[in-house]
Amino acid sequence: MLSRTAENLYWTARYLERADSIVRLLEVAYRISLIPNTKEGYDNEWESILATSGIKNEYLSIYKEIKKEKIEFFLLFDDRNSSSVKNCITSARENIKMVRTAVTLEVWNAVNSFFYSYFDLTKKKYYTKDLPEIIDLVKRNVNLIKGTIINTQLLNDGFDFLILGNYFERADFTARIIDVKYFILLPSTSLIGTQIDNFQWSLMLRSVSSYRAFKWAYGNSEIDYIKIIDFLILNSKCPRSLFFSVEKISYHLKRLKNHYKENKNFPSKIENVFRKLKKLSVNDILDEGLHEFLTTFIKDISTVYSDLEKKYFLGS
Amino acid sequence: MFNEVINKSTVRSPYNKVFNWAEALPKNTILKKQIQAENLFKKIGVTFSVYNNYDVSERLIPFDLFPRILSASEWIKIERGIKQRSIAINAFLNDVYHRAEIIKAKIIPEKLIYNNPAYDIKMVGFNVPKNIYSPIIGTDIIRTNEIDFKVLEDNCRTPSGVSYMIENREIMMRMFPELFQSLNIEAVDSYPSYLVDILKSLAPKKCKGDPKIVILTPGHLNSAYYEHSFLADLMGVELVQGSDLFVNNNITYMKTTEGPKKIDIIYRRIDDEYLDPLYYKNDSLLGVPGVITSYKTGYVNICSAPGAGLADDKAVYTFMPDIIKFYLGEEPVLKNIKTWRCYDVKECKYVINNLEKLVVKEVHGSGGYGMLIGSKASKKELNIFKNKINKDPENFIAQPILELSTVPIFDKSSLSDRHVDLRPFSLIGHKKFKLVSGALTRVALKKNSLIVNSSQGGGVKDTWVLAD
Repeated sequence: MLSRTAENLYWTARYLERADSIVRLLEVAYRISLIPNTKEGYDNEWESILATSGIKNEYLSIYKEIKKEKIEFFLLFDDRNSSSVKNCITSARENIKMVRTAVTLEVWNAVNSFFYSYFDLTKKKYYTKDLPEIIDLVKRNVNLIKGTIINTQLLNDGFDFLILGNYFERADFTARIIDVKYFILLPSTSLIGTQIDNFQWSLMLRSVSSYRAFKWAYGNSEIDYIKIIDFLILNSKCPRSLFFSVEKISYHLKRLKNHYKENKNFPSKIENVFRKLKKLSVNDILDEGLHEFLTTFIKDISTVYSDLEKKYFLGS
Repeated sequence: MFNEVINKSTVRSPYNKVFNWAEALPKNTILKKQIQAENLFKKIGVTFSVYNNYDVSERLIPFDLFPRILSASEWIKIERGIKQRSIAINAFLNDVYHRAEIIKAKIIPEKLIYNNPAYDIKMVGFNVPKNIYSPIIGTDIIRTNEIDFKVLEDNCRTPSGVSYMIENREIMMRMFPELFQSLNIEAVDSYPSYLVDILKSLAPKKCKGDPKIVILTPGHLNSAYYEHSFLADLMGVELVQGSDLFVNNNITYMKTTEGPKKIDIIYRRIDDEYLDPLYYKNDSLLGVPGVITSYKTGYVNICSAPGAGLADDKAVYTFMPDIIKFYLGEEPVLKNIKTWRCYDVKECKYVINNLEKLVVKEVHGSGGYGMLIGSKASKKELNIFKNKINKDPENFIAQPILELSTVPIFDKSSLSDRHVDLRPFSLIGHKKFKLVSGALTRVALKKNSLIVNSSQGGGVKDTWVLAD
């Protein structure tokens, strides 16, 4: 496969996952705005959305103040925001357009139709009351595209690159979300068990669309930080956990190695990351320091990506 | 003006069935089918980019559902004419870049060749594989009456539109399967495999084994990008950009996930001057540094050859009948359109004095730009062009205002005549000539307009060649 083809497939999936993550963040913020008396938490929430997406400075340089409507527009439609949903969808389509012969007609159609329906929205003025519908449109379409990929693509190397793009983005994004809010997960005597805590934790779960899943996994017991850390980092069944993403990345990198008949004995970085995660407990993470753990994790994943890029995308 | 469907108040025989069918179609069916067809095109992504459009810079080429039809005998003549022209064009290019006998014989003026911007001096003396410079030619043909098909233009560089020929057919077959059951219509879907076959016959000297073909595109922003990816897909070859290729030790490679892979034939869809920054434009990133050296040392073939555009220049066009006679000793099967060359003082005078009756074209212009239709121009425009011609006569030719034939379109669900042209795509390789029985019909959607170019409001039609 052409190196650029592999790269375009990877980034198609990565941008789609990013668009999906951004609207999930918006969904959480939207929920908060519906709850009375959360003035303070509410402002914090908007700030942390910007921080999680890594675009707080970009935003402030343009709009100067934290304001709900403006942030929504900035995240959904603003051309000046390189990670706006609009730009993510455009980039995803541009990438897939360059390799449209490497995906099935169904996959291309799904991405292309998504692009057109989202662009219809950009032609109209944005009103904040439209937010729930837009969130729904994006989530529905991204899920449709992913399903189409799984249902129609040949499981060849191109498939692996698509899936890798998805999980590299998710690993990175989940780690950032936890990191931005790590302070609410730390045991502190003054706040433990208070309403605020519970509320914040449930929001965190919602922001990775795992609130319901958490209940399934842990029953109806009280939410606490140990369970949340376990769920979002170490749980092998939670599709949003770091563990899950790393397992997928490791599996698909291995498939590529087999596909290209590479030397199997050559140890890879992702194996080390995965092995480490398997052995960890929540207490180990807390001992290391949650923030330190996440920083190392994000760095590790980015090294794994650099290796992948060097090996498959630069191709010389 | 020749009406291809109704002549002397009777329906011409190739259109018999279709005309009755079209007349009988209920209005709302037509509208419904038009919307369906448009959605299909949009879904497949058949679009072309428009450079001066800020928004989503992609548009659909309007597609009209009423087919253009040619009988078997009409097609045989067109095919003979195109084949003759393709052979002559390649013989001409080979001669011009070697002994230049045609200049020595004083058939074509020397300066028309050597001062021509499309003439590539670096190609002189180089033997291109199998002496084929331009394997893919799109010939623009117009019909003037019952008998005459005339050539308006030869496109020898990177003619586009063949994807529309194939997609238009796909759409028509989906929309109106009943027509294909009742009429005997020649298929067009073998074009991609013909193209592979033709290109493989042009493998470079140092190629061993089955030649590896790639299509070289300027990228997804190019107006014909859809076509590039469409062809790559149907031909089963890689679609590459300049940055996907590199040259090492004169060998051209593409970068793959499994390391470098050697390639043998580049079907390039980028212009000469972007091919290799070491040879041509050195500020361009579209090309491949060193690929011309790889080409000249026989490791890779570039189709069409650099400098092949010389043969489709509008000034050289006027000599095409002489070129055919000179190399083949035959009379041209397809006639040229009467053309005045402004570099000739006498002809130029005629042009200036009769401007309102003529179409004036820039010699190197294309896409319907840089063109004046005398009858439709204002006094001011006529004067501007007079000055332009006087200043630089060599840059202009003039032709009579053509009576392009008409075929109806569905205009808001009723039939209305519009002007059309015809572009078949011929393929010439080593001792091989291939032409699918079909073509692209371009149609001017504005009533009475003669400009069929898609960039200026033209649309397309499916083109049927009936089997005997």
